[in-house]
Amino acid sequence: MTIAQETAKVPSRSAARRRNRLDIREGRTAFFFLLPSLIGVILFLVLPIIASVVLSFTNWKLLGQPAFVGFANYVRLFTVDPQFWPVLRNTLFFTAEYLVLNLVISLGLAVWISSLKVGQKWFRVIFFLPTFTPGIAVAIVWMLIFAPGGFFDFLMGALSIHMPSVLTDQNLAMQAVVVVSLWAGVGYNTVLFNAALDMVPANYLEAARIDGATAWDRFWKIRLPLISPTLFFGTVMTAITSLQVFDQIYVLTRGGPGSATATLGYAIYQKGFQNFQMGYASAIAWVMFALIMALTAFQFWMQRKWVHYDN
Amino acid sequence: MTTRSKSAGGALALQILNHVALGLVALLFLFPFFWMVSNALRSNAEVLAIPVRILPSVFQWDNFAVTWTQLPFGRFFLNSLVVSGSVTVITVFVSCLSGYAFARLKFPGRDALLMAYLGTLMVPAIMLIIPLFLIVNSLGMVNTFQGVILPVAFGTFGSFLLRQFFLSIPMELEEAARIDGASRLRILVSIIVPLSMPAIGLLSLFTFIGQWNNFLWPLIVMTGADNATLPVGLTQFQTQQGTAWNYIMAGATLSMLPGIVLAIILQKLIYNSIALNAGMGGR
Amino acid sequence: MANISIRSAVKAYGPLEVLHGVSVDARDGEFMVLVGPSGCGKSTLLRMIAGLESITDGEIEIGGRVVNELEPKERDIAMVFQSYALYPHMTVRDNMAFALKLARRSREDIEREVNRAADILDLSQLLDRFPRQLSGGQRQRVAMGRAIVRNPAVFLFDEPLSNLDAKLRVQMRGEIKALHQRLGATMIYVTHDQMEAMTMADRIVVMRAGRIEQVGTPLDIYDHPANSFVAGFIGSPSMNLIDGVVRSTDQGLVLDTPHGTTWPLPANATVLAGAKIQLGIRPEHVLLDTAGVEAEAILVEPTGAETHVQMRVGGQTLTGVFRDRPAIAAGARFRVRPDTARAHVFDCDSGNRIPARS
Repeated sequence: MTIAQETAKVPSRSAARRRNRLDIREGRTAFFFLLPSLIGVILFLVLPIIASVVLSFTNWKLLGQPAFVGFANYVRLFTVDPQFWPVLRNTLFFTAEYLVLNLVISLGLAVWISSLKVGQKWFRVIFFLPTFTPGIAVAIVWMLIFAPGGFFDFLMGALSIHMPSVLTDQNLAMQAVVVVSLWAGVGYNTVLFNAALDMVPANYLEAARIDGATAWDRFWKIRLPLISPTLFFGTVMTAITSLQVFDQIYVLTRGGPGSATATLGYAIYQKGFQNFQMGYASAIAWVMFALIMALTAFQFWMQRKWVHYDN
Repeated sequence: MTTRSKSAGGALALQILNHVALGLVALLFLFPFFWMVSNALRSNAEVLAIPVRILPSVFQWDNFAVTWTQLPFGRFFLNSLVVSGSVTVITVFVSCLSGYAFARLKFPGRDALLMAYLGTLMVPAIMLIIPLFLIVNSLGMVNTFQGVILPVAFGTFGSFLLRQFFLSIPMELEEAARIDGASRLRILVSIIVPLSMPAIGLLSLFTFIGQWNNFLWPLIVMTGADNATLPVGLTQFQTQQGTAWNYIMAGATLSMLPGIVLAIILQKLIYNSIALNAGMGGR
Repeated sequence: MANISIRSAVKAYGPLEVLHGVSVDARDGEFMVLVGPSGCGKSTLLRMIAGLESITDGEIEIGGRVVNELEPKERDIAMVFQSYALYPHMTVRDNMAFALKLARRSREDIEREVNRAADILDLSQLLDRFPRQLSGGQRQRVAMGRAIVRNPAVFLFDEPLSNLDAKLRVQMRGEIKALHQRLGATMIYVTHDQMEAMTMADRIVVMRAGRIEQVGTPLDIYDHPANSFVAGFIGSPSMNLIDGVVRSTDQGLVLDTPHGTTWPLPANATVLAGAKIQLGIRPEHVLLDTAGVEAEAILVEPTGAETHVQMRVGGQTLTGVFRDRPAIAAGARFRVRPDTARAHVFDCDSGNRIPARS
C-alpha cells in the first residue's frame, strides 16, 4: 500500500517549522522592492516631520547655531506676536467663507449639470479646466482683472457702482482672494458631486416618484442624503487645502494690505524664507497642523448628524 | 391629448432654456481665459487702456514668440517639463515597486508599514517645506534640478494607489507566471504593469499636473533666475517687469496650455478617477 | 518523468492548521485525482506540490528531489488553473511561449514547441488571437498548451473543468485523459466532482477536513469505501446510510432502526448483537421485494436508462435506482430490501468500515 495514513510519528515537527527558505527569499525581494520608496520616504518625509518638531523648539535662523528654547516659540506666537492673531483670524475667515461658498456653488453646478439631457461632459470639463492649470497663472490673470483701471473697475463703472481698488482695500482684498480661489477650486468638487449624483440608482428616484414625492422632495430627501458621504469627503478635503492657502495670496496681495490677507500658509513662507526664522516658522506650521487635525476631527464628529452610509 | 403634447413641447422648451442658461454661466466662467488670451495678443499700451478694449485692435501673434525666446519662457517651459517629467517618472517607478511589494509579497510588518504610509498622507505639504529646504540645503542641492525634483518624488500616495489596483489583478495570473518561471521583477514588468496601465496613467497624469502647477517648492529651491519653472518665472516678471502685462499673459497662457489640453483629451480618465473617489466616499 | 512522494505534509496559517500531516505517493506516469468537498485541503495540497504555498511541515519529493525549498520553476512542474489564468495582454502564441522565453530557449526551439503543442490541442488556427477572443473550451486548451510546451515531469490541474458547461466538461475530460495517455507524464488532478474523479483517475485520493480518508482505484473505493464519509461522497446518487442497532434473530442478524423498521444484514457481517452500526446500501442495490420493508415513493425521476426513486421508509428518505422501469408513481406504496451481499456496514461512532468475514 502506498498510503501511510497520517500518524503521530512525525519527527522534529517543531524544529521543522522554522520559516521556510522561500518565505525568507520573498521577504528579501520585498525589501529590495521597497528600498527606493523607503529611502525617499525616510529622507524626505519622516526626517522632515521629526526635524520640524525639533526645529519648532529652537530659535534657528539658518545662520549660526540653533539653540533649544523650549516652548518659547509657541508662547511668543500666542502671547507676544502682534501678527499671529490676525493671521489666525484671516485663515479661519478665509476657510469658512471659501468652504461654504465652494460647497454651495459646486453642489449647485453639479445638480444643474446633472439635470441636462445632453452635453453633461462638456460642462464638466469647462468648470474643471482651472483645476488643471497653475494656481499662480490663474491668480496673475485675476490680478490683471482686478488691477486699477482693469476690467473689474470698468465693469463696476459701467454699472455705476463706486468701489475702491479691490486689492488694496482692507476688506475687499480678502474677498478678491476668495473669488479667485473659488474660480480655481469649484471644478473638482463640481465633478466629484456630479459623479456622485450620477451614481444614485435611478430606481430610488423612481420609487420616490411613484410614492408621490415632488422634485423638491426628491432632491432634499433622496438625492442629497444619498450623496452625503461624497459631500462629506469633499468638505474634508476642501477644508484641508483651504487652511493651507498660499499661491493666490502670494500673487494677489502678498498678505496685504497691511496684514489683511496674511494667512498661516503665507506666514510660514514669510517667517521662514524672508526672515529666515526657521524655528519660529516651524512652530507656525505645527499650529496649522493642529488646526487641520482639529477641523477634520470636528467634521468626523459632525458627520454622524448628517452623513448617511447605506451599509 | 392636446394638453399632453403641449406639456411635452413645454418640457422640451424648458430643457433648451436650461441648456442655454447654463451655457451662459459657463461662458461667464470662461471669461478669465478669454481675457488672458485677449491681453496676450495686444500691445502693452492697450492692456489697461481706457476705455477697456475687449479685443485687441491688432492681433500681435509674435507676442508669443517674444515671450518664448526673449523673456526665456521657453527656458521656463523646458525647466517645468524636466521637473514635472522627472518627478513623474521617479514616482511611477518607485510606486510600482513598493505598490507591488505591499500588494503581493509577504514580509513581516507589512500591514504596519502600509498604515504608516497612509498616515503620511495626512501631513500637509506646506508643513514640511522648512525642514525639506534645510535638508536640500545641507545636501548642497539648492538651485539644482535634483534639489527640486527628489524631495517631491517619493510621495506615498502612488504606492497606495497602485497597491489597490494591483490587488484587483487575479492572483492566478501571477501564480501561472511563477510556475512559468518568472521572477518577481519579471512578473511585475511583464504581467502586472501592462495590466495596470489605467492606474499608472492616472498616477502619471496627476503627478505631472501636480508638479507642473506646483509653486511654493520650486520658488524656494530654484533661487537662480534661469532655473525657474513656469509658475515661478511668471511671478518674477510680475515684480520685475510689472508693466509688460501682455507678455505675462502670454506666459500664463503657455503655462496653462498643457493642463487644458490634458483635461480635454483625458476627460474620461479624469472623470472616472474622480467618480471612483465619489464612490469611495460612499463606502 | 517522476513519481511524487508526500510525507506528513502539514499546512498551517499561523495557529490554524488546514492540512494535518498527509502522506501519499503518486507513481511515475500515474493519473491521480484529489477529491473532496470544498475546504478539505485538496487545492492547498496541490499548491504545496506546485510551490505556490509553503510547506509548514513534512516533506514533498518530486522525482527523488525534496522540493520544500525550491521555487515553482525549479520543480519541473506545470499547472492548469481553474480560471485558466491566461495572460490577457498576450496572444495565444505568446501565452504558450512565455515560459520558454523566460528559460532563454532559442527562437527555433520555442517555435517548434509551441507548434507541437498547438498541434496536439488543435490550436494552430488560434495562435494569433487574444484570450478574450476565445471560447471557454479554447481557453482551457490554451491553458493546457501552456503546460505542454514546457515538457514538465508533472502536470498539476486545479479544478480545470469547473468553469465549463456540462457537455464541454465531458468532452474535455476525454481530452485530458487522452493527453495523459499520449504524454505519459505524472498528473495530479484536483476536483470536487466525484464523477470526474471516478472517470479519470488511475487512483483517487479522497480527502476531508485536511486529512486523507482513502486512497485507491476508482472501483476499489466504490466497492470498498473505507468509511461512511467516502461511501456517501463517492457515487451518485449517494449511498443510503441507515442507522440502527444490531439484533440477533433466527434468520441471522438484523438491524433495528429508531423508526421502527427492520433491515436484514449481510450474512458475513462481523458485528455483535447490540452494536450501533450504519448499514450502507447503494441506490442500485435497493431491490423491489414484496417481502421487504414498506416504502412510499416521494419523487420519481426517470433518466431513460434508469429510474431514480426517492422513497420514505420509516422516518427516513432513501434513494433507489432501478433499471427495469418499475411502475411506480409518486405516492405509490411498495416494498424494498437491500441486496445484502453487496451492502456495507460501518461503525456508528467512528464511521469506519466493519470488514466482512471472507
